[in-house]
Amino acid sequence: MKRFVPLLLAGILLLILQTTWLSFFPIQRIRPDLLLIFTLYLAFLFPPFLGGILAFFMGYLMDLFSGNTLGFYTFSRTLVFFATQFLKERFYLEGFSFQFLFAFIFSVLEGGLLLILINGLEPVSFGNLYSSLFTFLLPQSFCTGLVSPLLFFLFKKGTSLLFRQPEQGIKAGG
Amino acid sequence: MRIRDLFLSRRYSLFIFITFLLLFALVLMSLRAKQRKGMEFFDALLMEICSPLQKASTLVIKTVQGTFQKYVFLVNLERENRMLKQKIAELQEENHRTKETKLAMDRLKQLLQFREKNSLSMIGAEVIGQDPSSWFKSVTIDKGERDGVKKGMAVISAAGVIGQILKTAPHYATVLLLTDYNSAIDSIVQRTRAKAIVEGKGENRCQLKYLLRTEEVAVGDAVVTSGLAGNFHKGLMVGEIKKVDKKGHGVFQYAELTPSVDLTKLEEVFVVMEPIPPPPPPKEEKAKKGKKIKK
Repeated sequence: MKRFVPLLLAGILLLILQTTWLSFFPIQRIRPDLLLIFTLYLAFLFPPFLGGILAFFMGYLMDLFSGNTLGFYTFSRTLVFFATQFLKERFYLEGFSFQFLFAFIFSVLEGGLLLILINGLEPVSFGNLYSSLFTFLLPQSFCTGLVSPLLFFLFKKGTSLLFRQPEQGIKAGG
Repeated sequence: MRIRDLFLSRRYSLFIFITFLLLFALVLMSLRAKQRKGMEFFDALLMEICSPLQKASTLVIKTVQGTFQKYVFLVNLERENRMLKQKIAELQEENHRTKETKLAMDRLKQLLQFREKNSLSMIGAEVIGQDPSSWFKSVTIDKGERDGVKKGMAVISAAGVIGQILKTAPHYATVLLLTDYNSAIDSIVQRTRAKAIVEGKGENRCQLKYLLRTEEVAVGDAVVTSGLAGNFHKGLMVGEIKKVDKKGHGVFQYAELTPSVDLTKLEEVFVVMEPIPPPPPPKEEKAKKGKKIKK
């Protein structure tokens, strides 16, 4: 619980940032997905149980404040978290290029998954969404990728301040 | 290995946990689709917790924006003219404040005129947050169930239709914008009275669906709500036709329209509190009823 609450509050804070400050950018539509980067960070540094519940909750919050009626993000964010958990043993979350690529790829994959879910579950036609693959999904994922090294650095600093060592979460939790 | 040991081993418990979380997410989707009461309560509770922070954040943004606009052009004045600079700064600040007040006054006056012109019962609300995801189009407003806001209510401004209430909490609500892919509003082309459904197309665009090929519509035609279905009263401005395409074949033609309201710059909105009265029963039924009463 000690670890859960500060991380949850951090998630809520990022959501507020995403819905207010980032919306005032000149290009409103293309903005980094801070909560996705946070979910990836959780997957790399926190145990599956604590991180999984947090990722689930981050997705739930996204659904709550978006026009999304069914709640796709709760599912997609949990899936992204466990997919990253599965891959984390094979990669090191170090270096700008890796962090950028990792966030970029996951953003594109999540976008793809959302498209499939929307197309499969919503009653309306979503033919137009496919055109947004190039006009919006790729630039948005690129933007998320670009911001991710800075955010990973800040998250790491914040975690080490909160829990002394970021790795503490991995070993002690579960 | 006994079944109990199997479940207690870390590997299996992790697998069960992952499956449980993913299944739970899918169950939530299903509950949302069925619009269960319990879900709405939990959503409202979370919204009540997060929205005040959102509101405070928006307030800070507006203050910072205002300050930035006021002082950004005053940084390069010379030292000798400090007194003059101060004077200019004061005048500029006053000027900006006056301008800002005038703009706000104009906006509010427009809203008031619109409110007076329309006999609808409406409640004013402030936009406090945007959609966190870029796939969907919605905004959060600072009025909720306690103010009488209910799911499905129409949200409009002086310029026209904005959308409808999607989720509600006691003090806050989410508005599904006209441009969202999930939005569909029964409308008519004002000039020709051609019926169509206005569907969101993302960005700041919409499309007219089920517009018969035989109908003559042109670029620049205004589209208004039909008042037939949904929660929108008749004659509310939806947008202007931007593109018409009759190419290909089929029963319908394709038309694209730009909403009359710039949905990327929403600040204040009106929630229409009055429900649309149910359509009158057909004349035959009325006549039958009349006969029965006479008998």
